[in-house]
Amino acid sequence: MNARLQEIADELASVPRDLQVELLLEHARQFPPLPDRYQAARDAGLGRVHECQAEVYFFPEVTEAEGARVVRLHADIPGHAPTQRALVGILIDAYDGATPGEVAAIPDDLLRQLGVSQLLGPQRQRGFAGVLARLKHGVAEAAGS
Amino acid sequence: MSEYAHPEVLVSTDWVAKHLADTERVRVIESNEDVLLYATGHLHNAVHVDWQTDLQDPDVRDYIGQKPFEALCSRLGIRPDTTLVFYGDKSNWWATYAFWTFKMFGHADCRVMDGGRAKWEAEGRTLTTEVPKYDSTDYSAEKPDPSIRAFRDDVLAHMQDGGALVDVRSPAEYIGEISHAPHDPASEAALRAGHIPGASNVPWSRAANADGTFKSREDLEAIYLEEQDLDPKAETIAYCRIGERSSHTWFVLKYLLGFKDVRNYDGSWTEWGNLVGVPVEKGEPDDDGDLDD
Repeated sequence: MNARLQEIADELASVPRDLQVELLLEHARQFPPLPDRYQAARDAGLGRVHECQAEVYFFPEVTEAEGARVVRLHADIPGHAPTQRALVGILIDAYDGATPGEVAAIPDDLLRQLGVSQLLGPQRQRGFAGVLARLKHGVAEAAGS
Repeated sequence: MSEYAHPEVLVSTDWVAKHLADTERVRVIESNEDVLLYATGHLHNAVHVDWQTDLQDPDVRDYIGQKPFEALCSRLGIRPDTTLVFYGDKSNWWATYAFWTFKMFGHADCRVMDGGRAKWEAEGRTLTTEVPKYDSTDYSAEKPDPSIRAFRDDVLAHMQDGGALVDVRSPAEYIGEISHAPHDPASEAALRAGHIPGASNVPWSRAANADGTFKSREDLEAIYLEEQDLDPKAETIAYCRIGERSSHTWFVLKYLLGFKDVRNYDGSWTEWGNLVGVPVEKGEPDDDGDLDD
């Protein structure tokens, strides 16, 4: 994981369960809105992650900036899904502006490394594994690798 | 409008609003698919029970045992004579799962708030983030009641006897095009796709209205009795993928339509579709009115 994700993980790992819930809700509240240019695609059902119980839409982009490739992450999670908003929000926080290589290196057992597996229970972790796999695949495709 | 078979088990948002302060006799319990939803705001005085982290054994694929269940109830200040009211997200999908679990441990007075969270919020009623604290009790539970739970051998025998089975998954899962729910991770898939031979297919959500409430008795009878030809006097088993969607249908059949003997098969497709040697059927239901009318 990159430095920002490590920072988030350390913070989550250092607090008891009740505060973990508060921290996660804070991430959910900070979830950035979907840019207008993606609204139509979302409304048409594009970008939907079907592996997840909640409605999650991902629109990863890879752009060139000063000769380097940069990942831009946009997502939308309509409805009441604070858990997915928190987890996807953490991914956006840590990887929006990262390199495609950094995204490819996100650990597949991220939730365990974040120390929130017990809070979520096994079924929800599988849902998130689908989100993560979709994100990595989407970025790899956009990066043309 | 005819009444449900057991109308006392379903309470309105109004009824709950009037009883929220009666914490001595009533405990309101929120159970959601989303584990953080309760913390974003819940009914005043309501406690949180999570279907996975509170009700499932962390190691064995099973519900928690009698002792952990007693500890859970004691921690929530519940006594055997407490009226429990369950509500939650997604048309009370997980609220009925929790209801079923509490019934399995023999809790006498369990109810469901019709419409769940969505209806409460749509009516502009108050939510709070304050978590109530209740004095611990010394709850003693019954041994788990197997009469509402079906195990794989029961299901196999039931199937061989031509017993009624209701598969509440999506048509695509039932037909066998896919072995996991369209919105679920493939890692929860079974090795085989299809359904238990002889099962009808009634997706669980057909029992709910758009606002999350249960459909009227007439509408439910039209689906389960007329269209699917199920007999309320016959032993019936409901199943889905892991037994949560089918808790909702179990509740509908048993309490709203008065089926005499209905069980939930919580092993469901993730067990059946991975068992060696059990029969699997694919394709559309062959004799049900809904596909050939």
